[in-house]
Amino acid sequence: MVGVVHYLVLSAAVFAIGVFGVMARSNALMFLMSVELMLNAANINLVAFSLHYGNLTGQVFALLVMALAAAEVAIGLGIILVLDRNFGDIDVTVPTTMRR
Amino acid sequence: MAAIELPTWAALAPALILAATALVLFLIDSIESEPDTTSPVLLTAVGLAGALGALAFNVWYLIADTGQNAPIELFGGQLMVDGMTLVLGTIVASVLALVVLASYDYIADDPYQAEYFSLLFLAATGMTLLGSVDSFVTAFLALELSSLPSYALVAYLKDNQGSVEAGLKYFLIGALSSAIFAYGISLIYGATGSLQFDAVAAAVDPTALPGILGVGIVMVAGGVAFKTAIVPFHFWAPEAYEGAPTPISAFLSSASKAAGFILAFRIFTTAFPIEAVATTIDWLVLFQALAVVTMVLGNFAAATQESVKRMLAYSSIGHAGYVLIALAALTPTANADLVLGAGMLHLLVYGFMNTGAFLFVGLAEYWDVGRTFEDYNGLAQEAPIASVAMTIFLFSLAGLPVGAGFLSKYVLFGAAVGAGLWWLAAVGAIASALSLFYYARVVKALWIEEPSQDFEIDTYPVGLYAAIIVAAVVTVLLLPGFGLVSEDAIAAAGALL
Repeated sequence: MVGVVHYLVLSAAVFAIGVFGVMARSNALMFLMSVELMLNAANINLVAFSLHYGNLTGQVFALLVMALAAAEVAIGLGIILVLDRNFGDIDVTVPTTMRR
Repeated sequence: MAAIELPTWAALAPALILAATALVLFLIDSIESEPDTTSPVLLTAVGLAGALGALAFNVWYLIADTGQNAPIELFGGQLMVDGMTLVLGTIVASVLALVVLASYDYIADDPYQAEYFSLLFLAATGMTLLGSVDSFVTAFLALELSSLPSYALVAYLKDNQGSVEAGLKYFLIGALSSAIFAYGISLIYGATGSLQFDAVAAAVDPTALPGILGVGIVMVAGGVAFKTAIVPFHFWAPEAYEGAPTPISAFLSSASKAAGFILAFRIFTTAFPIEAVATTIDWLVLFQALAVVTMVLGNFAAATQESVKRMLAYSSIGHAGYVLIALAALTPTANADLVLGAGMLHLLVYGFMNTGAFLFVGLAEYWDVGRTFEDYNGLAQEAPIASVAMTIFLFSLAGLPVGAGFLSKYVLFGAAVGAGLWWLAAVGAIASALSLFYYARVVKALWIEEPSQDFEIDTYPVGLYAAIIVAAVVTVLLLPGFGLVSEDAIAAAGALL
């Protein structure tokens, strides 16, 4: 029987993979994908607990999180595009114009 | 008692006006025959009307006691309007009006002005809504509504490497912290089965799943710490404030920070009251530690800067530390109304004096004066009125009694002492004394030093000047008027507890 604890472990694993990606990758697109993993880890929790408690709050919120994740990616891709135009690279460690 | 009976949803009028203004600005831009030819005067006038309209509604509701005796609940308890909502709305709308006025000159030569103003209003809508959220769902939505346009605004000068770099860093850390915030919310939902603030507080059971709840609370605190630039999540702030167009720096460091703090006040007093969660995680100790680290780090880093704008960015982190005292000092012995009210008052006063200081930097950028302290040498000979205003802002930020910054800091530190946290107030006072050193460096450069360059100042921009002077006048007027606003703020805090 798959219980709520299994989902919690799964979501924690997905979240941890996302955190690892954020820490270890310097490619801006990889960063976006990692953040997406972290948000989806939250969604797994929300849907699993929604079933566990028998109310729909969590499922509705999961839908909203998905919509917001899409909006965030749209803004992110725009910023990554101007990053590439200005610095010729999408490595997030390249721009250091302000550090002296 | 009101002369006019308004429907309940009209309590959201400030946020609705801001959202409508954003859409009107889009509309004006899209019905132009040629792209990007809209008159800047028209855009600024519409923007100013929207911001002042929202401000008028906030002030009217504050005076008419709308929602201050009993909070007005809307949309099945997802949103609510009470005194704190209106205080935040007042701060956001005032800062927005100043920023709109200053942007007229600052972005005069840049394309996509209508989009700039629209995004500004969308962000302001999100910030205003952050004051009226009553569940984690709306809190997350409003937080994102205020953050997403801000990312784009910071990177608005898209041919300027500094602006793009600032936008990138702000976006990266913002996206990361909103993911952490969302995960924290999902854990809290897991521990309590609800997302409404009061239902969460009622369902908090320290004996069942204490680990999940504790991690959830820490993650939510992390999401809020990003918005307010509190220490472990402050890395974006100096970069974003330095690279962004200066009116945007002013907007983010004043309005956005105030919105984040009001959200923190709401969450930690309504959803996680300390008596309910103390055995899971004692957030008083957490915030006391963060307040000390933030005050010390912000002020010391500010003292070592060469660029005036970056110095203001770090000083803004230091001020986040002062306001955090309001949460850190909510001990059982504290006069809780006074502590929280003092935090709100400092946010209000800070909104004017910090916006003004950033706008003066914007004025210097407009004249191509340069960015370091030395570049400001002798500027007072060319621009005495603006320099007087800047002197008022800086001394008020430091806590000298030329502006209301003195009173708000005094009340804040006094409230901390009253809560038995004299050491927290002492750290704050020492940090303020240190801050006087680096603020005075700017004043010395302006008034005492001989000019190190020939200024080429041929125009005096009307919008920037007007915004700076209004901010200075309000900063000074809040000194005698402090008693008036403090009543409202402390009453608003009292309603929360």
